[in-house]
Amino acid sequence: MPNTYGNRTLTEWLTLVLGVVIVLVGLFFVIGGAQLAMLGGSVYYLICGVLLVASGVFMVLGRTLGAFLYLGALAYTWVWSLWEVGFSPVDLLPRDFGPTLLGILVVLTLPVLRRLETRRTLRGAV
Amino acid sequence: MRRSHLLATAACVTLACAPLAANAQFAPAGSGGSPTATVPGPGNADEPTATTPAGTSRFSGPSPYAPQAPGVNAANLPDIGSMDPNDVPQMAPQQSAAPAQGDWSAYGRDDSQTRYSPLSEITPQNADQLKVAFVYHTGSYPRPGQTNKWAAETTPIKVGDGLYMCSAQNDIMKLDPATGKEIWRHNINEKYEAIPYTAACKGVTYFTSSQVPEGQPCHNRILEGTLDMRLIAVDAATGNLCEGFGHGGQVNLMQGMGESVPGFVSMTTPPPIVNGVVVVNHEVLDGQRRWAPSGVIRGYDAESGKFLWAWDVNNPNDHSQPTGNNHYSRGTPNSWAAMTGDNALGLVYVPTGNSASDYYSALRSPEENKVSSAVVAIDVKTGAPRWVFQTAHKDVWDYDIGSQATLMDMPGADGQTVPALIMPTKRGQTFVLDRRDGKPILPVEERPAPSPGVIPGDPRSPTQPWSTGMPALRVPDLKETDMWGMSPLDQLFCRIKFRRANYTGEFTVPSVDKPWIEYPGYNGGSDWGSMSYDPQSGILIANWNITPMYDQLVTRKKADQLGLMPIDDPNYKPGGGGAEGNGAMDGTPYGIVVTPFWNQYTGMMCNRPPYGMITAIDMKHGQKVLWQHPLGTARANGPWGLPTGLPWEIGTPNNGGSVVTAGGLVFIAAATDNQIRAIDEHTGKVVWSAVLPGGGQANPMTYEANGHQYVAIMAGGHHFMMTPVSDQLVVYALPDHKG
Repeated sequence: MPNTYGNRTLTEWLTLVLGVVIVLVGLFFVIGGAQLAMLGGSVYYLICGVLLVASGVFMVLGRTLGAFLYLGALAYTWVWSLWEVGFSPVDLLPRDFGPTLLGILVVLTLPVLRRLETRRTLRGAV
Repeated sequence: MRRSHLLATAACVTLACAPLAANAQFAPAGSGGSPTATVPGPGNADEPTATTPAGTSRFSGPSPYAPQAPGVNAANLPDIGSMDPNDVPQMAPQQSAAPAQGDWSAYGRDDSQTRYSPLSEITPQNADQLKVAFVYHTGSYPRPGQTNKWAAETTPIKVGDGLYMCSAQNDIMKLDPATGKEIWRHNINEKYEAIPYTAACKGVTYFTSSQVPEGQPCHNRILEGTLDMRLIAVDAATGNLCEGFGHGGQVNLMQGMGESVPGFVSMTTPPPIVNGVVVVNHEVLDGQRRWAPSGVIRGYDAESGKFLWAWDVNNPNDHSQPTGNNHYSRGTPNSWAAMTGDNALGLVYVPTGNSASDYYSALRSPEENKVSSAVVAIDVKTGAPRWVFQTAHKDVWDYDIGSQATLMDMPGADGQTVPALIMPTKRGQTFVLDRRDGKPILPVEERPAPSPGVIPGDPRSPTQPWSTGMPALRVPDLKETDMWGMSPLDQLFCRIKFRRANYTGEFTVPSVDKPWIEYPGYNGGSDWGSMSYDPQSGILIANWNITPMYDQLVTRKKADQLGLMPIDDPNYKPGGGGAEGNGAMDGTPYGIVVTPFWNQYTGMMCNRPPYGMITAIDMKHGQKVLWQHPLGTARANGPWGLPTGLPWEIGTPNNGGSVVTAGGLVFIAAATDNQIRAIDEHTGKVVWSAVLPGGGQANPMTYEANGHQYVAIMAGGHHFMMTPVSDQLVVYALPDHKG
């Protein structure tokens, strides 16, 4: 177990950081989204927040599932935003630009997560 | 409010979250609680009297009978005497009645205030060659240690061989219109303390005397109303005070105003002169106290400066000056917009504001309720209103009128032309009225509005007027999906903020338990920039804002905790409450907290762009919108106040008006991107733009000198719009006409 955290490469560290960022964003979504839903607003943020927290946690744990969960949340985000505002660039900007950029970073972590997963499997860890 | 814009940049998008802790702060200061003081009923407008014992008052404000503080009578002038309005001498023909082709003789160029110039040297084809001809420094800007309250808002006038203007602090100057060389300058030694909310001087008035013969000093004069409430007349040729006017060229306008302090009451607009009567209005600082100094409108003889009449809302039948310790009725609606004169009908059109304590109306008299946020046509012979047209009933939204009315002719029913008046409003409703009787020429509908509201004893009007015959200068009511941001994080913040507030459209009732959204906000719609109208083409040019506000009434206890105090409270600290921000509203059960509807952590507006627009309306063919587009780029705006440098025409908040010319161009600055533009009047295409040394929050003007056309803009900036302050008047011309 100490080895898992002891000999990380730079890309592994960056993947960990990205996972933490996604957890934080997800928590913001969950807390804010719950407030918004209780005020009668959109439930998108709450649902998406749950996905993001799960995604981030799995990424921190070094699981590819985390990345796929994020990409799922991103797909949900695009579908939701197109439903909400249509093809209006000004309105899509806040909804999709940042999440898509994060999504690109998440895709880049896929090989890293795979490597971590393989290493863990070899070691017999779960 | 220029912090309102933003463009997403990649780095901030992912990381620009307010900390999670911010969640706890979604509620603005001042939430909750119920009023502690008992609320008086409607129409209870009993102003304190000299015999009201101070100890029994719930509130600590000085008695209106208290003597004026030192400096209120800024030049220590003796009282001015009165004269019978019937003795006003016949007015000589004025320059502003029919300006020479190349002149700009009044604030809005002529008596009709059209902002239309017949000059045509500069056209859509050659406008891109415009270059700076000269720059003039007025010398007025904040000195070290002074709070930035500057926004010069000045429009020079040009008559004959002179360009006449004022500095933000009311020094008057005459410039050579071709070179910008100062011919004379008259310093009036105004104190910093006299600056109210804003150091602004929108302009001066040119008057030709019928009593002083041509060639004598003060045959032609420049009149000016000042921030420290003086009416000043100087000789147009020399800049020397006119000895025959008032006391050595000055009149103390604080006479009869009762208790006040410097900066409470101010003049910022050029007074119109109608049939020899110079009509004076003034701004009263918003939000201070219910019994603020009066919003009285007064007429003075333009020849002698003698008092003629007063229109004092709560003393409607007494048009004389108060004597002794008496004063004009307190807390009445003030008028701070530029007024428009009408010599033919003998009227002055007064755009009124609101009674003092803008957001609470239970203490207003029925007389006040009839004339606030209205156009009032006052007979300059008597001081009595001839007609009133109200643009918002029992206004508690600060929908006071900031714009100047523009006069024009409308086609009537039987082929005759009807003398008309166009009244833009902050609501974005533009009313077109018959100036003989104030009746709407284009249809106005009274539509249901939320009523009675939730404030005890302060019911709202069940209906409000809508000008259905004119295009509305507003966007539809806000929705949660209109919330914007750089990322979903700040967008979520704004969605919560939106949902936390009461909002049922334009007339959402004020509330104490939670905030309410006010859209259009106090910046308009249309504000003091007013509109320009080309009588040849029939095209009306309007620039306007989409800048909602987030308001909340707070209990007196909470207001005290927030340190809200009126300006004349001995403990008042500058910045502790002022116009268009938080206000004590002393004398009422509530204070008011007003902020832009923005994300306070990023400084970006919560609603989606655009935040400012410009529209051309064809008045000759059914009031159709000819073109409309966002005004102002994101170049000088961005999150956290950082300029993005992007040329995206996002549409920024704007303050300041337009000019339209026979050359087929509209000149306008106004936007918070600090640029001046030339726009093709017929297509809306921007054909030229230039970056100014400061914010262009002023009305531009154009004139001819030495046979060539010049375009002038005061790039004075605006403290509230957060644009850079400068003291520079920038004048453009086509090449080879440099001074």
